[in-house]
Amino acid sequence: MSGAGNREQVFATRMTLTTMKLKLKGAEIGHSLLKRKSEALTKRFREITKRINDAKLKMGRVMQTASFSLAEVTYATGMNNISYQVQESVGSKARFKVHSKQENVSGVKLPAFESFIDNSINDFKMTGLGRGGQQVQKCKLIYSKAVETLVELASLQTAFIILDEVIKVTNRRVNAIEHVIIPRTDNTIKYINSELDELDREEFYRLKKVQEKKQKQQEIQDLEAKAKKQLLLDNQDKDEAKGVLKVDRGNQSGDNDLINDDDEDVIF
Amino acid sequence: MEGLFFNIDFGFIEGLVRGYRNGLLTQAQYMNLTQCDTLEDLKLQLSATEYANFLANVPSPLSTSIIQEKASEKLYKEFNYIRAQAVEPLAKFMDYITYGYMIDNVALMITGTIHERDRSEILERCHPLGWFDTLPALSVATDIESLYKTVLVDTPLAPYFKDCLSADDLDDLNIEIIRNTLFKAYLEDFYEFCQTKISYPGNEVMSKLLEFEADRRSINISLNSFDTELAADDKLKLLPNFGKLYPNGNQLLSRAEDIDQIKIAVEQVGEYKGFFDSMNSSDKTLEDHFYQLEMDLCRDAFAQQFSVSTIWSWIKSREQEVRNITWIAECIAQNQKERINNYIAVY
Amino acid sequence: MAEEAKKRTLIAVIGDEDTVTGMLLAGVGQISNDATESYKQKNFIVVDSKTTDDDLAKAFDNYTTKRDDIAIILINQHLAERIRFKVENFTAAFPAVLEIPSKDHPYDPEKDSVLRRVKRLFGE
Repeated sequence: MSGAGNREQVFATRMTLTTMKLKLKGAEIGHSLLKRKSEALTKRFREITKRINDAKLKMGRVMQTASFSLAEVTYATGMNNISYQVQESVGSKARFKVHSKQENVSGVKLPAFESFIDNSINDFKMTGLGRGGQQVQKCKLIYSKAVETLVELASLQTAFIILDEVIKVTNRRVNAIEHVIIPRTDNTIKYINSELDELDREEFYRLKKVQEKKQKQQEIQDLEAKAKKQLLLDNQDKDEAKGVLKVDRGNQSGDNDLINDDDEDVIF
Repeated sequence: MEGLFFNIDFGFIEGLVRGYRNGLLTQAQYMNLTQCDTLEDLKLQLSATEYANFLANVPSPLSTSIIQEKASEKLYKEFNYIRAQAVEPLAKFMDYITYGYMIDNVALMITGTIHERDRSEILERCHPLGWFDTLPALSVATDIESLYKTVLVDTPLAPYFKDCLSADDLDDLNIEIIRNTLFKAYLEDFYEFCQTKISYPGNEVMSKLLEFEADRRSINISLNSFDTELAADDKLKLLPNFGKLYPNGNQLLSRAEDIDQIKIAVEQVGEYKGFFDSMNSSDKTLEDHFYQLEMDLCRDAFAQQFSVSTIWSWIKSREQEVRNITWIAECIAQNQKERINNYIAVY
Repeated sequence: MAEEAKKRTLIAVIGDEDTVTGMLLAGVGQISNDATESYKQKNFIVVDSKTTDDDLAKAFDNYTTKRDDIAIILINQHLAERIRFKVENFTAAFPAVLEIPSKDHPYDPEKDSVLRRVKRLFGE
């Protein structure tokens, strides 16, 4: 946890503290959600990688069977031109197409290819009419199957690439929240708290000082009042001898004293 | 009597061909080939046979297509050598053999022309045996009509085109139909030629072989055209008008709509009877049966002396041999050893 | 992304003759006659001994970036090897680039760009 450097530039007020606390909470929720998403994706991802591995190996076998059936065609037709004929008979519309649909894994749209065979199109009906036509048709079937396997593999692979990308992004976000945003907000909150505490302490000290000053003043005043009283008493003693008139004045100064008493602050 | 004058003109050639025939791979040699684990092993095994070092100048790694190419090359070289030695009517006979490949080449050129392909690219793919001087000129013609008028009329195939196809047809017909129409005309013409120009016993053996060829085409065409827009009448036009199945079988075949109907049509002929019984089990396809029978016929053809049919048999056997080698190589290269014994060896 | 994916329906093939033939037999081929967009005409390319690496790279770029109707690219592994840098650098999800074995070159998982990524992720 780095110090003051890694925090947001805010004024340390109670309001920002509340905002920051909310932000921290949000970040924590987001973090756990993203973490869960990433875990779900990773699970899926591992599943797919395993399947890709298997499918690739399967493809090796399937393709071998397929190319072997092509060898049978060459054997049956007894000529090398079969491939040329096939190339030349290709029409303007593909028979074997793929449709893509989408699958939703934790909010990520994964494409999946689906083989789609238009049986009304057949460019190779006549190929091998005089010889080997059956092998050609058989080979066609086997290759169709093989391409289906390939299409399956292709969707796995596309899913793999997309998932890979998404997982990277999600993990980046998770890490960003975990290692940058949360500590930073934490730091900010700590900073605000410490700032506020500091303010409190200053205030306390200030009040204490004020009180101190007041007390001193009070003492001085008390002393003065005492002196005055003494003086008054001395005078009274003299006045008693002179007459009753002085008593009234003594009462007046007693009132003044009362006001002075009330003025004192109350410190909690 | 027939053998009396045969050797004056054809003795040397027959000797050559029989020599070549003895060079064909035997059962035991095939056995050795199937034991190979790599293509290099195969090359080694083949070097002990008539093929000797035909793969000597090939840079590794070997591929099946190279093996096939080189093996075929050897066949073409031998064929051309014999062709150069031949006199009439054997020369004509050998020309007839090449016509079949010519049809393939012409079909190839037409396809290429329609799709505006690069000429040299197509020429590379043409069958060497079906080469004729005006073949490159085929691609000069930009549209089909001029192709027919300027180039095709000068080729040996012109009569076949003339009889069965007009220039208009060439435009919109499927190339496969053109090819099969031509092939039918060619087979009939060849058959006719063998009947009239070739002396006994060559004509007899050749008719047997050609009849088989015709029947094979008929069965294949009807089998492969189930779900196409070919009408029964159009189909009938593609089936050669001779052979063991002609005429009744052809009628039935052209109307057949599933395998069972073909089976009924074919079963009239003893040789083909068993073909469809094992159709369901995958170990032997119809094509395998045909090749097997073809090879049997070819082997039998060698039993007859003083006959030009040995040349045909030899070529067919060699083609099969190349296919066998390619097949075995393919099985080795692709690690499909359980199917490796699917080759057909009769010698 | 959804819209983009919808348009992509074709499978393109970069391969040797046998591979392409097989794929075409399966029916993936499409040759459009649209003369205005010549690069869109064929969705397959046959690679032979005459094809240069430049041609390969061009075809690859064409199918990956220029055309917007291709969902999957099938490429023979030994050909991908020739333009490996391009395949490695292409990381977008669409179109999916799939390395497939060919007849003469059996499949080697070690070379596959995607599988290599898988391996790397699991730290193997």
